[in-house]
Amino acid sequence: MDGLTLALVGVGLAALLAGIGSAIGIGIAGRSATGVLSEKPERYGQVFIMVLLPGTQGLYGFLAAFMAMRKLNFFAGTGVPELSFTLGLQVLVACLPIAFAGLVSAIYQGKVCAGGILMAAKRPEMAFKAGVIYAVMVELYAMLGLVITLFILQFGISWPTA
Amino acid sequence: MEDTRSEQAILDFYTYPPIGSDDWRYTFETAQVRALEMQMLSPAALLDMANAENFEAAVDLLASTEYALPSAGRNFAELEDTLRLRRSAVRELFAELMIDKPIVELFKTRDDFANLRLAVRRTLTEKPLGTDYSSDGNFPPEQFEQVFEEENYALFPDYMAEAVEQAVLAYYQNKDIRRIDYAIDRLQAEYNLKKARRLKSVFLLGLFRIQIDLTNIRTMLRLKFTPSLTGAGFTESEQRNVLLKGGFIALERLKDGLDIGYEAVGPLFFVTPYHRVVETGANYLMSDKSFLRAEQQCTEHLTGFLKSTIQITAGPQPIIAFLLMKENEIRTVRLILTAKKNNLATQLILDRLGG
Repeated sequence: MDGLTLALVGVGLAALLAGIGSAIGIGIAGRSATGVLSEKPERYGQVFIMVLLPGTQGLYGFLAAFMAMRKLNFFAGTGVPELSFTLGLQVLVACLPIAFAGLVSAIYQGKVCAGGILMAAKRPEMAFKAGVIYAVMVELYAMLGLVITLFILQFGISWPTA
Repeated sequence: MEDTRSEQAILDFYTYPPIGSDDWRYTFETAQVRALEMQMLSPAALLDMANAENFEAAVDLLASTEYALPSAGRNFAELEDTLRLRRSAVRELFAELMIDKPIVELFKTRDDFANLRLAVRRTLTEKPLGTDYSSDGNFPPEQFEQVFEEENYALFPDYMAEAVEQAVLAYYQNKDIRRIDYAIDRLQAEYNLKKARRLKSVFLLGLFRIQIDLTNIRTMLRLKFTPSLTGAGFTESEQRNVLLKGGFIALERLKDGLDIGYEAVGPLFFVTPYHRVVETGANYLMSDKSFLRAEQQCTEHLTGFLKSTIQITAGPQPIIAFLLMKENEIRTVRLILTAKKNNLATQLILDRLGG
């Protein structure tokens, strides 16, 4: 397997796994929200942000994949450079933190948001304090994954100079 | 659904047994139930009704709720109709929300057993079978007449056929009508436990075992208070056999409770989660010669268990809990309004409600 293939696997995983996580997370929170809204449509504003939160991991994955592709010179119009096996492996490893942190944290965040949405149904005044804040705590670990991915891509890899 | 192989012993939990974990298939349904819980009557609203001056004033307090009665021609029949409609509606909603249909069937068997109790009693005491059966069960009530006329019990589902057989055998031991109830109660308890195990539901198993314990505690207090069962042809050992098996409390403890004074019954249950139920119930029974507090404490204990499903974000537990709490609410409304209609003392109603 050549270096470019490995790098592309990493890029794909970052977007794919984080995206899958977000889809599952939004699915969980969305089902919970529709359940509450079927009886209390006036809670739409409060539950909306909690349905939205698990979607951020997918964006992080997309951002990391975009950054990796930029580093790989995908958008320069001069062609993708030859990559060594080691460099390709480095790009793959760099993409893993956001891929896996995104996947797992989005699913759990979806569950936390579902709990927060139930709370919004019963105790609307606690919806932000508990529901959103707890969900943001889960978000933090996806953000750390993204930061590490970006750090490795930016500073951890010796990119070939054009 | 959970693994129920290792059933809880009494010391494995403090007040309530485990309720199982989340089942994310129920996300939408749980959320809907949580929103509906907000429309339930608060304890304060029920206390206000109990403290109302009369029946009319108590009914007025229900004006903005689903139990509202029209201002003209408020009579008891109308109230009964409203409550029956509410009960049917909540049961329909339960059937709609529950993804695991065997659980719906299991809860419908409550009406099957209740119908059967009535039909067997009437048949054995040679009274007309009647048509006033609940239609919320699994077996259509309009077929009862045919089954009992032809004595073709094979038309019943297995659990009902077995219940008829056991009830008839029990009755003909000494023709005491109470034996019918005991036989059907025992079979129902066994059936519930068997189904809960088959469904692998930790929550249902805990629920049914608590219900068995509470039934046994009530029976124990009744036996202590009215030892006339022996006079009705029950030997002392038979009297003790009316206690149901399968609960968390060892039957020996309940049987020991029959032999000691009221003041010692509470401490006997100190190591069980039912200490408060038994102690409060026994003390009130001793002082007021009434089961009101025992009934209230049993309801409160069961409600406490059902409320523990608040920990579940998605699962069948909150939906089952909603059904049972809503049915309890309907019973409470009926109880208060019946008491008000009959001009019962407010304090008695408050004692029953725990106010």
